[in-house]
Amino acid sequence: MSEERTQACAALLKQARAVIDTDGTGEAGLEKIKTLLVALADRGEALFPLSDFAMPNAQGRNHILALEDGDGMGLYLTINMPGKEAAPHDHGIWCVNAAISGREVNRFYRRTDDGSRAGYATIEPIGEVMVEPGHGMAMADHAIHETMVVSDEPSIELALYGYALARFPSVVWFHPEFSSVRAMPSRRAEAT
Amino acid sequence: MAAFKVTIANTGAVVDCDANQRILHAAVGAGVDYPYGCATGNCAACISDLTSGEVAMMSYSDNALSVAQLADGKILACRAKPLSDVAVTWLGRGRR
Repeated sequence: MSEERTQACAALLKQARAVIDTDGTGEAGLEKIKTLLVALADRGEALFPLSDFAMPNAQGRNHILALEDGDGMGLYLTINMPGKEAAPHDHGIWCVNAAISGREVNRFYRRTDDGSRAGYATIEPIGEVMVEPGHGMAMADHAIHETMVVSDEPSIELALYGYALARFPSVVWFHPEFSSVRAMPSRRAEAT
Repeated sequence: MAAFKVTIANTGAVVDCDANQRILHAAVGAGVDYPYGCATGNCAACISDLTSGEVAMMSYSDNALSVAQLADGKILACRAKPLSDVAVTWLGRGRR
């Protein structure tokens, strides 16, 4: 990785940590972090040349850019091909994204059942954000979002998570077509 | 739209699946307790052996199905649309 990019990504983590220490990870704090991440993504090909990042073998791939020490944040460059999608899910930890190129729609939902029936859930849409160059999105712990790449070119984004992907909590997937919910195991127990 | 037969070896169930329908969705819609998580090619909970027939794969993440697994006859049922009658065997259990 280029020294300039390494330094810029490390600086982003430090700036984000300073925001969290001051403002927390509520809406105000995450919006500030989004502004920082959008500014980093806006440096585009100059800092993140595609030749430095392998394309997916299939349709989606994550590249580690920087990891905070200990049980901290993870910053990634994600490449998702046109049509790549993820069903509505809650990944248990906050997330901020900013686009370098391409367009990915993020649709947000809230759960409408009381969670009392195992495997059953209903959700309803509450909003939508287009992640495209110059724009990003921020979502809080336990927010539910669905993603789909809607551009004809790959969606290349910076993604900052409250935990590294290797230390993710349980990801809970919602399926309105089945009125179902499925929780995948947490990676936190097995992570070193 | 042509409907193909999908045989699910784990239960012996045979379900109809349109050519534009995903195997997982056809199975769950028919009442089969097929394991799944994300159902969009990201988690691999529905990874299965394709023991006969052909499928077309929709988009999925590299970390859900490797090139080697695909070459070895593994599929993600949530991303697989039948091109013929097929037989599959799921390899794991989903979580609730």
